[in-house]
Amino acid sequence: MRKLIYLLFIIFVGFVSFKTIEPLFVIPKGWQKPTYDFTKNKLTQEKINIGRALFYDNILSKDSTTSCASCHLSYTAFAHTDHALSHGINNRIGTRNAPALFNLAWSKKLMWDGAINHLDAQALAPIHNKDEMDETITHVVEKLNASILYKKLFYAAYNDSMITGEKTLKCIAQFLVTIQSYHSKYDSVMNHQSTFTNQEKKGYHLFQKNCASCHAEPLFTNNELVTNGLIVDETLNDMGRMKITQNVNDSLVFKIPSLRNIEFTYPYMHDGRFKKLSEVITHYTSTVQPYKNLPNQLKKAIVLTSNEKVDLIAFLLTLTDRHFLYNRAYQFPKNILTTTKDKQ
Amino acid sequence: MRFFFVFFFCILSTPLFAQQKNKLVFHHLFTNKPLVFNENYILKNKDTVSIQTFKYYISSIQFLKNKKVVWKEKKSVHLIDEENSPSKIIDLDNMPDGIEFDEISFNIGIDSATNYAGVQGGDLDPTKGMYWTWQNGYINFKIEGKSTFCKTRNNAFQFHIGGYENGLATLQKISLKINNKKPLEINLDVEKLIEQINLSTQNEIMQPCKEAVEIANKLSLLFSIQ
Ligand code: HEC
Ligand code: HEC
Repeated sequence: MRKLIYLLFIIFVGFVSFKTIEPLFVIPKGWQKPTYDFTKNKLTQEKINIGRALFYDNILSKDSTTSCASCHLSYTAFAHTDHALSHGINNRIGTRNAPALFNLAWSKKLMWDGAINHLDAQALAPIHNKDEMDETITHVVEKLNASILYKKLFYAAYNDSMITGEKTLKCIAQFLVTIQSYHSKYDSVMNHQSTFTNQEKKGYHLFQKNCASCHAEPLFTNNELVTNGLIVDETLNDMGRMKITQNVNDSLVFKIPSLRNIEFTYPYMHDGRFKKLSEVITHYTSTVQPYKNLPNQLKKAIVLTSNEKVDLIAFLLTLTDRHFLYNRAYQFPKNILTTTKDKQ
Repeated sequence: MRFFFVFFFCILSTPLFAQQKNKLVFHHLFTNKPLVFNENYILKNKDTVSIQTFKYYISSIQFLKNKKVVWKEKKSVHLIDEENSPSKIIDLDNMPDGIEFDEISFNIGIDSATNYAGVQGGDLDPTKGMYWTWQNGYINFKIEGKSTFCKTRNNAFQFHIGGYENGLATLQKISLKINNKKPLEINLDVEKLIEQINLSTQNEIMQPCKEAVEIANKLSLLFSIQ
């Protein structure tokens, strides 16, 4: 009898612990294959933890004041709500709006101008940017190698406590790819677990007709770069992708952002010029500039009545994913970065 | 006793055998003399130049005989840095002895496949200072210095040559005729590059661009076999 209880207990424990193992990365039903090559950077919980700790750690900035999370806040979909242009070290102001971060495993090019072609290399940009963290990866790696906390974490993850630039960046990328959003009302409607209101449904149709060619479902971006006909802001003169390719056809070309969680990622566009969704929609109906490289979909003005505009916005609000916004796995890792003393 | 004799013979002769190993040695020169950082060199046009940084990637090393590849190095990427002497000697450990060749070829820089593959370790680790940060891509070739010709801050010039896409590719293939000499010694005369650049009008390249491609196209002039 005792043996039987013992056995049942083991089975029970086994079952409980089995159930709590969640996959580290999910391809939601019906989504295409991610572009990120996981075989080159195999996800483990230990490495994701390091990436998460680094994301929240000021150690990545020159004067230990700024972390990735200073500009990318989890409860606003990792965008910097209310800040049109990013705010970095010593209150320096950058030239672009910090974008939301999620579903990055599907992105092809990163940054508003697509300057970065691989997620593993992305973190180098903010670390080295004078207006952001003003550090160097070489010095960051020195600081990490001098930290007992990180030595321990890297040893647990790699069986080797030697910290390199490659490992550091790949751990950050591991955390970034695990930031996923696929639990919005829109998703539950698609999975037949919920239904749109009439207004949302009308908005959905308007969206499919006018916007979905670029903001393609289910990611709400096709991850391409185009111009959407914004007037140049002459105080910034940001020519977008042209700076990278030096090709006039790329003048004012920017990355098409996802519209998931758009309710929280204001202000909008690469320079944060619009505060409200209604202003964005008015741009698409009234102020699109007839640039030579304007995509065909925008060449003919989009016509929307004021009711239709409201319907469209009602639909866009179904893209809010509270499960994602309040997901603890994305927040400050209290269990790892307890006090600054640990870091020494 | 005889055993000891054999033993000593072995020990004494190891350096002899080791010498047989294939090595590729890079010598950095300025006007035919070993390059010395911060030394003021006087150019033919009377301007002075000094060098503070000189580093570049060598990749895809292969040996040929009658235009046919007889051996190529696997995972062949090496960062050669004037500041780090051991980096100027490449051990071709896996190259079998007795291979006959009459030509060596390698790339200066990193191929586009590697540039698309994200971050890598070893000589490719971004902590080596040969990776652009605000955009992707390895810097294939870096030279920095000062010249009275440059009307810039501290008379400085900086050329960071790289780029692999958008029609701005800078990877250069170098082929040199050689004989079976060991070790193989390759000279790079920095002056040959400097005299091709008009430092009064051109003193900074820090991103992929047409000018970078033009300089990359001149890099083969630097190389010769000793
Ligand atoms: C000072 C504010 C600031 C800091 C600090 C910062 N970022 Fe950003 N982030 C931005 C801005 C602004 C952009 C857009 C840059 C551009 O387009 O040139 C951006 C873009 C990104 C992107 C590209 C998203 C996309 O879809 O293209 C990722 C990923 C990212 N940041 C991650 C990070 C990580 C990781 C860190 C910490 C190592 C970090 N950021 C630190 C402001 C910041
Ligand atoms: C031809 C492609 C295209 C079409 C069609 C299009 N967009 Fe966009 N959208 C873009 C691009 C490109 C940007 C980023 C532009 C920038 O920041 O300079 C953008 C940005 C946005 C943003 C700002 C997102 C953010 O996080 O800053 C919103 C909101 C938006 N679009 C909504 C819409 C709506 C609604 C429609 C349909 C009425 C639509 N778009 C149609 C290409 C398109």
